Amino acid sequence: MGDSHRLEYVWIGVVVAMLAGFTLILAYTSEAKGYGTPDSAVTCDVKKLEEQITPGVRQLGPGIYEVNLVGAQWSWNPNRIVLENPKKVIFRITSADVLHGFEIVGTSVNVMVMPGYIAEIEWMPPEGLEGDLLIVCNEYCGLAHHQMKATLTIVRG
Amino acid sequence: MADFGHEDRFARVSIVFSFIALGLGGLFGLVQLITRTPYMPKLVNEAGYYAVLTGHGVLMAIVWTAFFIMGFAAYLVPRELGVRLSPKLLWAALLLSVAGTAAAATVILAGKATVLYTFYAPLAAHAAFYLGAAVLIIGTWIFAAAIFKAYLEWRRANKDKEAPIATLGVLATLIIWLEATPPLAFMVLKDLVPMALAGKYVDPLETRTYFWYFGHPLVYFWLVPAVAFWYYAIPRILGVRLFSRSMAKVAYILFIVASTPVGLHHQFMDPGISGFAKFFHTVTTYMVATPSLLTAFNLIATMERAGRAAGGRGFLGWVWRLPWGNPVFAGSALSLILFGFGGIGGIINASYTLNYIVHNTMWIVGHFHLTVGTAVTLTFMAASYALVPSLFGRELASIRLARVQPYLWFVGMLIFSLALHLAGLYGVPRRVYDVMYGGAAPASWVAPLLVAAMGGIVFWSSGALFLLEMMATMLRARPGSQGVQLLPAVPESLGRKTVLDSLKLWVLIAVVLIAIGWSIPFYEIYSRGLSPVPPVGPDGVKLG
Repeated sequence: MGDSHRLEYVWIGVVVAMLAGFTLILAYTSEAKGYGTPDSAVTCDVKKLEEQITPGVRQLGPGIYEVNLVGAQWSWNPNRIVLENPKKVIFRITSADVLHGFEIVGTSVNVMVMPGYIAEIEWMPPEGLEGDLLIVCNEYCGLAHHQMKATLTIVRG
Repeated sequence: MADFGHEDRFARVSIVFSFIALGLGGLFGLVQLITRTPYMPKLVNEAGYYAVLTGHGVLMAIVWTAFFIMGFAAYLVPRELGVRLSPKLLWAALLLSVAGTAAAATVILAGKATVLYTFYAPLAAHAAFYLGAAVLIIGTWIFAAAIFKAYLEWRRANKDKEAPIATLGVLATLIIWLEATPPLAFMVLKDLVPMALAGKYVDPLETRTYFWYFGHPLVYFWLVPAVAFWYYAIPRILGVRLFSRSMAKVAYILFIVASTPVGLHHQFMDPGISGFAKFFHTVTTYMVATPSLLTAFNLIATMERAGRAAGGRGFLGWVWRLPWGNPVFAGSALSLILFGFGGIGGIINASYTLNYIVHNTMWIVGHFHLTVGTAVTLTFMAASYALVPSLFGRELASIRLARVQPYLWFVGMLIFSLALHLAGLYGVPRRVYDVMYGGAAPASWVAPLLVAAMGGIVFWSSGALFLLEMMATMLRARPGSQGVQLLPAVPESLGRKTVLDSLKLWVLIAVVLIAIGWSIPFYEIYSRGLSPVPPVGPDGVKLG
């Protein structure tokens, strides 16, 4: 029995070390490398959306864009976004009705979109990324959920 | 052996009801799989697809699991403790659970509750859906009361004894359920019922956070009974002692303590909740991975001990000495293997830097078909091969079929799940009727979805064979009790009660940790001021 107790403690040590390692890696990548989570704490009034968000693209500086989007059953507004040589993109997204999910396929852009809240995220597009990217809604939002899509075109030059 | 008449009647009804849910939920799963797979026919239209998707989720995640667990517990606990369960409480529990399920199922099938099993507000369903869910939950509370009443009676007569290991698992399961469900029931009655009946405005973040307060301990409500069954059955079948009883108890304690303050890992991508709260829940999620890792070690060590005692040599030679032809053992051991993959995926999901890539994609669907879809479901099937013959006093209709079925499930699920994990990495969203987006989706999505469909058809067939076997056993098989051979009834020698058996202490610690873990996001949500919005139907009709 003594031997089996030793094995138990060895295994518990392995488990604790492994999970402590994951925790440290996560803390490092999110704090030092900036891979945090969307945590904007901005609320809005769905009945007066036009006062709080203007759908469309604003250029804030060379390569720096702010993209404002409103999701509604079953489309994104705007549904065609073109960005030239983007270095940094700030998305401000809300919903006019139910929950939606904003996903740019093939990228790390993936955020929940809720009525009453404005999600704000920053994205640094990889330098090689170019062409048309599919934007989908990845949170079920009603019977035509699968028709909710848009296009992001990245132009390099 | 004492006669457990009304307990066994309850168990029979509850388990038959769970099989009906499994059959209907499985049929919905198949319709959904074929309809969404490229190049396969659309068996239903859009409204039908999302109704079937709602039905599949509710029937599998709640009805199949809850009713099987109740049946299993009502069979096991009185036998292990030698104490009767209150018939009044049992029948009240069954009545409410069945009535609640029937109400919710009716509106789902009528297409009036197409909100999926997560029912995120302000997407609104018919009020009967929410009321049905609340009544079902109250029914399960009454069932928990019946079990705890029996346990306390046993405890009074056995003050210094430790509880049998499987019964302790059932108690842990019910404690987790009682930690998880009251706030959900409160939110449903405070917000969702008035929303459905009177168009009350609700805050989507507040209601969603209540849902995930419940949604992750739900996972352990499914899993801990499976773990308890492994601890019960594997040593008995192998004819050895469990490698470490105290390690098993530590696992239960960690499930009780850490299973509830973790739910924010479903909300990493939500605005309105701070990075600090999310980091806290990541760390607690890593904590709740510990009991699973302890369980895997404990059971594999038990198997190795038995395999070596049977003459197995070398590093892995003992594996071949295990009774792979016994469906109760094979189903449990294969579940444990796929649970390992599910656990690794779970750690990835909990790490929010990685979760960006997989959130709301097919990866998640692949993940939970390994956990609830296999670790839990295949274990319950394995348990049924012993339980149903014993409960109905009949031999298994076909032992050959029972021998093959777990392997078929294992292979099908391995293919299905790996393909869906891959599809998720390519960005394929979950819960979508036209997954190719009318041709706009990348061509790379087609192959993993086709492979997943093939795997899905294989494990669906295995599920159908299981239900056929069960039906034939209940209705047609010879009287007898072959279940006894598959799972010998070996009495457990019980030692003295220690701090590991002190449920009160661990529940207290759990409550403190829950209070800390959940007061952070709820403080953020309420101190900012709510942002209520009007309800909207899945058909786009504004209700508020």
